[in-house]
Formats: sequence, C-alpha cells, structure tokens
Amino acid sequence: MSGIVDLSEAEAPDEQTVDVCVVGSGSGGATTARILAEAGLEVLVLEEGGDFVGTRLTQRDGEMYDQLYMDRGGRATEDLSISVLQGRVLGGGGVINASDVVPIPEGVLRHWARAHGLGHLSAEALAPHQQRVLADLSASRIAEDQLNLANRLLRGGAESLGWRGEVMMHNRVGCGGLGTCLIGCPLGAKQNPRAVAIPAAIQAGATFYTRARAVRIEEADRELKTVVVRTLDERGYHERSELRIQARVVVVAANAVATPQLLLRSGIGNEHVGRHVMLQPQQPIVALFDHEVVAFRGIPQAFAVTEFEREDDPEHGLWGFRIEAVMGTPGIVATLLPFVGAENKAMMTEYPRIAASLLLVPDAPSGTVGLKGSGRPLVQYTLREDLRQRLRQAVRAAARAYLAAGASEVLVPVAPAIRIRSQADLRQVDDLSFAPATTGLLSAHQQGGARMAGSAADGAVDPEGMVWGTRDVYVFDTSVFPSSSSSHTMAPVMTVSSYLATGLAERYSRG
Amino acid sequence: MAPPAEKKGDGSRSSARKGTASPDLFAFLSRRRWLKLTLGAGGALLGTGLGGAIVLRGWAPWVGGLSQLDDHEYQTLAKLATALFPPAQGFEADVERMELPRLFDEFLEGEPEENVTDLRRALVLLEYGPLVYEHRLTTFSRLPRVEREEHFRSWMTSDDLTQRMVSIAFRKFLNLVFYDREEVWPHIGYPGPSLGAPR
Repeated sequence: MSGIVDLSEAEAPDEQTVDVCVVGSGSGGATTARILAEAGLEVLVLEEGGDFVGTRLTQRDGEMYDQLYMDRGGRATEDLSISVLQGRVLGGGGVINASDVVPIPEGVLRHWARAHGLGHLSAEALAPHQQRVLADLSASRIAEDQLNLANRLLRGGAESLGWRGEVMMHNRVGCGGLGTCLIGCPLGAKQNPRAVAIPAAIQAGATFYTRARAVRIEEADRELKTVVVRTLDERGYHERSELRIQARVVVVAANAVATPQLLLRSGIGNEHVGRHVMLQPQQPIVALFDHEVVAFRGIPQAFAVTEFEREDDPEHGLWGFRIEAVMGTPGIVATLLPFVGAENKAMMTEYPRIAASLLLVPDAPSGTVGLKGSGRPLVQYTLREDLRQRLRQAVRAAARAYLAAGASEVLVPVAPAIRIRSQADLRQVDDLSFAPATTGLLSAHQQGGARMAGSAADGAVDPEGMVWGTRDVYVFDTSVFPSSSSSHTMAPVMTVSSYLATGLAERYSRG
Repeated sequence: MAPPAEKKGDGSRSSARKGTASPDLFAFLSRRRWLKLTLGAGGALLGTGLGGAIVLRGWAPWVGGLSQLDDHEYQTLAKLATALFPPAQGFEADVERMELPRLFDEFLEGEPEENVTDLRRALVLLEYGPLVYEHRLTTFSRLPRVEREEHFRSWMTSDDLTQRMVSIAFRKFLNLVFYDREEVWPHIGYPGPSLGAPR
C-alpha cells in the first residue's frame, strides 16, 4: 500500500509492521521518507494534520488557522508571551510559511563545529544535499516585478539610510500574488515538501497516514519498536481509535516542540531532551502611510534588511537581527494590534495603508519543552536581556527605515502601544520592557529541544541523529540544531535531514 | 501610560517543573495560578459570599444551542465583544448579531477538556474582575459599555500577569473572528480573498 490515507475516514490495520516509521510529514519528515523509500525501505509516515491542497485552502483566517496550525493556531509559551506557530498539515511548515529559502550560513556551520563538536556537518559534506534541496524547492531570487509596494517601501527606506539588504530567495513557481501564503497557497505555487518530496516518496512506495497522532514509542530498546497511534476525527479535534505500528527504525521529525514531547512521553533519551530550545522570537511592527500600500496582495515577504545580521558571531553563530516585510489577512493582523473600542476599529480601517515587518532576532537556547499531566506540551521560555536589547535595536531600526520611506507613523504593537512619528519619538523604545503577555511576539522557527552533540553529556542525539542510548530511534528535524541554523529553517532542515537520512539508508543497506 | 512593570515571578520565566500548566493560547489559567488568584482575591469573594456573588451577577438572557458555555459566560463574552467593537462608534458592524460568543462555544467543542475548564474559569474571572480586583459591587457585564472598555484596557496593561493573559487570549480570539467576517471587510478596505473564497 502506498499513498495518502486519511485515518479520519479509512480504517487502518490495528497492528502493522514496517521498516521505518517517520513521525511528522514536514520538511524533515517528508525529506527523510523520500530518501528512505527511494532506498527501498518500507516507510510509513504519521501526520497529525489533514491534507490541504488546492481549493481546500480557503484563504480564510478562521478556518485555516484552525486546520493548518498546531493547537489550531493557539499554541503559545506558558505565559502567552510568544505565539508558537507550527504547521499541523501534510507537508508541515512548508505549507504555511512565507516561502523564504535561506540556507545555513557557513559561519553557522563553523560555529557548530567549533562549539558543539559537529565538524561532520561541514559545508562540503552538506553541499550535495543542499544542492538537491534547492533544486527540489525550485529556489530562485524573487523577481523585481514581484516586489509589492510594501516591500519596495522597506527597501527604499533602508537604502536611503545606506543599509544593506537583499531581495530574498523563495520556492514559488507560478505565483499568482494572492498574498495568503501564511494560510496556504490554493494555486500550489509553493514548491514545498507537499508538492515535491511527498509525491516522490509515494512514488517510491511510502505511505502517509493523516489524522494520525503518535502518542508514544514503546519497547524502544527492542529490535522492533512500537509506535502507538491515535486516529483523529475529520477536523483533527478528538481522538477516535488506537493502532500500533511496529518498526525497526523510528524517525521523529515532528518539530521542535512535538519531537521532545513524544520522546518525553515515551521516556526516551537523556536529560537534554526538551532543553536548549530556541524560539527565534519575531516582533511585528506596523507602518502607516498616507497612501494605499495594499500589502495584502503580492508576495508578503520579499525584502530583508540584513545590515544588522551577523552570520559568524564567535559565541552564537547567527546573531544580531534582520527586518523582513510581512503582511497577513485582516483577522491575524487584528490579533496583533493592542487596541480596544473605537481605536480598534479606526486602526483596522487603515488596513490598506499599512506596511508591516517582522523583526527576526536569533536567540541563544533559553527555552524548555516539558509535559503537562495530560501529556500535552508545556513550552517555557526566558526572554533574556540580550534578546530584549536586540529587539529594541531592531524596533528603532525598523522605525527609522519606515520614517525614511515616508511613513506618517510607525506603530509598535505592544500594550500600551508605542506610536513613533519622528526621530524624537524613538526614545519611547527605551521603555519597551517586553513583559509577558504585552507584546505580539511570534515564533515561526523553533529549534533545539533534542540537540545534536558529539557526546551524550552535551546533547540528546548523536552526530548521526540517533537518540543517545536508544538504538534506531532518530531525530531528523529542527530539534537537533544546537544554535539558530538560519533566519528561515525550511531549507536548513531539509538539507540536514537529507544528509542524516542518506547516512541512515546507507547504514541500513549494509545491515 | 507606563508599560507594565516586570516583576520577579511574573511569568517571565517560570520554573522548569513539568506537568502543571497549559501552554496553549486559551489554556493559560493553570491550577496553580488559579489557586493563587483565588486565595489572593478571597477577601473580596468571602466578603460578598457565594450567594452574594450570584446575586451580583444577576440574570443572563437565555441562549439556545450552546454546547460548552452557559448563558452567563456567553453574556460575558458578548459584553466584551461590544467593548472591543463598539456598535455606535467607527464603522457600522452589528457585533451583537454576529454572535461571536457562539463561535467561541464552537471553538471550545474542539478543545481538550482541560482547556475548556481553564477558559471557562477565565470568563468567570473576567466577569468578577471588578469585584475581585477593585472590590466594587458589580460585575463586568453590568458595567456601562465605556467602563467595560476602560476596564478591559486596564487589564491589557496591568501589572498582574493573569489579567494580561486573560485579556490577550480573549482579545486575540475575538479580533480573529470579527475581522474574518465578510460584512466587516468593506469597512476596512479589504476586498476579500483574491480567489473569491473558494470552498
């Protein structure tokens, strides 16, 4: 049997045995499934979400955040400081991301070798995998005529200040400029894992179960491990029935929250599981113009100010911050604005005149993933002072860029809101405390939680991605990154998963 | 207005302990937090007494077809919706006719039991906020609309983390569903999905 099987409708055998069970169908899981299936292994992939392509992607906030995102779009850190955005859909985060392709900078790889003993993940070793990934993604520079006004305004502001920036690489082909990338592309322009790796894996014989939640790995120390799966209802809300998958190899690629969650629930791994989590917080910022911008049409995220980003910080690797244009549909934009009453309505009437950015700030590991009594994940995170300082710097920089671009006002959407109309108003940014539950901080690039290290004393998985001390249970997703891999994690996780899965396939074929 | 002070133990970093609190947007009132809050506010509630609190809350109109919320919880959320999106101010949009609390009720249907419990507690806290925090003999739903708006705004910038968490959770939900309504789009200059909302 191969193909996509929706377990909210179809019955699966209560028990079945495969060579490899992959948990998660996103950038890591789909890449892994394809490589292992093409190597001749029988591969079964478990995906908690449903399969959404074409007109099932309705471009509506309410439906799509509910169906495409973890916890129906509501996942957050314990204190609600940071919304943790993760895909829960066949194809994972690639279905709902902004389609940015940013490979792992070489400075980051050097940092991993120097600080974490991961010299095997060298630029040379990863090069063939990265090459294939970029080809699969159809990665290309966004064309000049695809830059909408919002992106051009940010670029103009940055250029007038003499700042470095770049038009970004993306993985769209045949983009119709719908502008709803963050809730899926009904035109199928994204050359993401759902469009490329999953069909290729199926072609090679892999099976994908959707609405299939892996809740536990049992008998992990035996040759045949058991993955306990609960099927979900049509909307993915409630569990229906249970089945057991037996597999010689289990690859967990469920994301940097769900992967440690599954390992913890299974009692697998050492004390590093669930630690060293990075959320790479992003602060939104909004600029108001006197003219229409219509940022909600076209490619939302096409230009990045990279002036303040460092790729070779001796202590951290990727550091500093970058500013990227962004825009969302009305519902999601409104959730970020800290207004009530008439002020709320008045601000949203400015929607066509809004340009917005995200301030991406790489972080040091300062979060944890634990378990609630129910087995659901508990994400806790410390907003360290160095991060707050860089967030303030980023806010000032973005405000300066927008003012230089002619914005009448720059709004920092925190409670209470900060309104910047001149250089003098920038002083208000000094008061930004980023106290919990006052900001609209987002996290779209969670990493760590099962970090890779050269010894069990320093990490949860070994250089081959195998959980230290648990034979044939692997982690191939962003959980393994010991520091921020990139400002956008799709290409990095595909590259590293390709490298790790290829190694696994070779070892498996040798017996 | 000054930004909320950040206090030690204010949730900026909770302990690494496992198994006690809910991480989800709408599952923020951990048992620990609720207990602390209840103890802290116990004076006000004890002073009023349970019977007094019920009397204070008064009568709520009957709402049919709810699966999770009761009529009082529906009313609290409905009153919050009119505070957030005042019908008589700004563009015309009949927020009462939209029945946004019913969408919340439907949302709860798909949530794990623990989240439903925590959220309903949050609604109770919001309703009794004027009594618990300000020792006023009234409830959120009974405040005049302008006062409700001010009251809720004060929670957004409060020094108390629980108040901020309650405010951010309900504010986000109601904004998402309000601005996802087609009848609102013409007022904000959004022409709608570019493919005409395929279904």
